[in-house]
Amino acid sequence: MNFDKDTNRMEEALKNAFRRREAPEGFADRVLSRVTERSSDKPMVLRHQSWLRLFSQPLVRWAAATGVCAALVAGGIYYRNVQREHAEGEAAKQQLVLALRIAGSKLQLAKSKVQQVNADHIPADQTESQEEKE
Amino acid sequence: MAEPLSAEKSTVVAENDFAEIVRRHQAMVFSIALHFLADPAAAEELAQDVFLQLHANLGRLKSGDHIKFWLRKVTSHRCIDCRRRRSLPQVSLDEAPESAAPTRTEDPMLSHRLRQLVASLPEKPRLIVILRYQEDMNAEEIAEVLAMPIATVKSHLQRSLAMLREKVTRAIGEVTI
Repeated sequence: MNFDKDTNRMEEALKNAFRRREAPEGFADRVLSRVTERSSDKPMVLRHQSWLRLFSQPLVRWAAATGVCAALVAGGIYYRNVQREHAEGEAAKQQLVLALRIAGSKLQLAKSKVQQVNADHIPADQTESQEEKE
Repeated sequence: MAEPLSAEKSTVVAENDFAEIVRRHQAMVFSIALHFLADPAAAEELAQDVFLQLHANLGRLKSGDHIKFWLRKVTSHRCIDCRRRRSLPQVSLDEAPESAAPTRTEDPMLSHRLRQLVASLPEKPRLIVILRYQEDMNAEEIAEVLAMPIATVKSHLQRSLAMLREKVTRAIGEVTI
């Protein structure tokens, strides 16, 4: 018999080749024991799911989303304030340093002038006292 | 007066029902997986997972036919997922090794050869052939299970059969079966 001429034979051969096989021995028992194992783990899963189930309500979802958005905005504003205060503090520090430098240079100038004046007056006094001794 | 079932008793009844469902359909689920994967251990693991999933979804299934349809559908999709995850090298039908051209063969050899050839088909056509010849499903039923157009199922089936016929004819020539 040629397969080209007899499609039914081919189909019959395929049905033979792909007939159902018996599941391995103890298959159902293994499935049932896995089901029992899972059932014993279930309370934890259920507790977890009950928390998640809260978010299945649209109102709670919106409230959560709004809360997250508000927290993000508040966080952004707080961060900007901190940044601004930090920048102001830096500017004040720079100004103080500049003021101290200016004051320091003025003091230096005054000190050198005083020293110069002292230097101009001391030789004259010394001359007068020598003359008095003589 | 009929006594109402306690929660514990009703659970036991449900578990007995589930055990009965497993025993009734285990050969079908295991065979689809075995014929598709050609690996008994992987087929058993997949079949067990299918029944665990069934246990979790049992409340949503309305009848025995619905359960059978659901099992075929989930098993088919899991087979394809499993195959993709394992990403075994897929041999096309043309590349499938041919036997040493025996001129005559007996049923077991022919069956073995056909299974080899079907195993070399791409995933969807292979599943279609398995559902058609193992489960004796028609194109409409297969299309529903695999969520494919009927025309696609028919064309896959025709092309697969043509290729199988050509390969078998080339390999064994005139065959008495």
